[in-house]
Amino acid sequence: MENKTNMFSSISELLSHIKEVEQETIQISQDSMLMLSSFIEKNSIELDESAAKGLQYQDIISQQLTSTIEAIDSVQKAIEIYQNAYNSDEKIASNSIEKLHVKLSSTLQIAKDRKDAFSGKLGHEDETDEIEFF
Amino acid sequence: MPLVIFVDDSETALASTRMVTNSMPIEVKQYTEAQVALAEIQAGMTPDLIITDLNMPVMNGFEFLEELRKVPATKRTPCLMLTTETKAELKQKGKALGLTGWIVKPFNPAQLKQAITRVLRLT
Repeated sequence: MENKTNMFSSISELLSHIKEVEQETIQISQDSMLMLSSFIEKNSIELDESAAKGLQYQDIISQQLTSTIEAIDSVQKAIEIYQNAYNSDEKIASNSIEKLHVKLSSTLQIAKDRKDAFSGKLGHEDETDEIEFF
Repeated sequence: MPLVIFVDDSETALASTRMVTNSMPIEVKQYTEAQVALAEIQAGMTPDLIITDLNMPVMNGFEFLEELRKVPATKRTPCLMLTTETKAELKQKGKALGLTGWIVKPFNPAQLKQAITRVLRLT
């Protein structure tokens, strides 16, 4: 019983570490792009299509990482609920492992949907640059 | 000069739009929070065009648009959504809320300029 809860604690700690790295990466990539854009603006350099897209990729990177951080939060919460159930009663625990499985599957699906939603034209090469007017 | 406001929680996205539009004959104001832009509009600011992101914390682009339509001065102000979202159902929702158009990120600078020019009838 203790081995199992230790394992879940280790997974949760590992997830916290991944989350921290992702948060730092978001900040570094934003700082880096803002430094670059400040240089471009100061020197009145006109952005061409690829430079403009390059700058905008940081926004997409940031949204993608934020959605995985949200997925990690959800997984950690589910693990915590399972651990609490396991510590109180082993019978409840067997029921809870099913719930944990369902929760993890749902979190994965939400994370995949968000990856798609936050990709913009990346991965949608059929999307044109044409702006849609209503 | 016509006033164009950009709302996006990403500072780099705002920097990109600022660099693309700085040569245009427009005044630009930028906001990282829709609720701050809304408060200024409610206090009397009258933009000629609003370009907003969809996925933002606190107030998202649709909520912002709904609130804008309640303010008499911006009831019919053109509004473009600039977002990573490509789903048809979201575009439909935007259209139903009175959105003028939908731009998918990353935007093409020439297309963004053309869209602003077209909506503001600058030519």
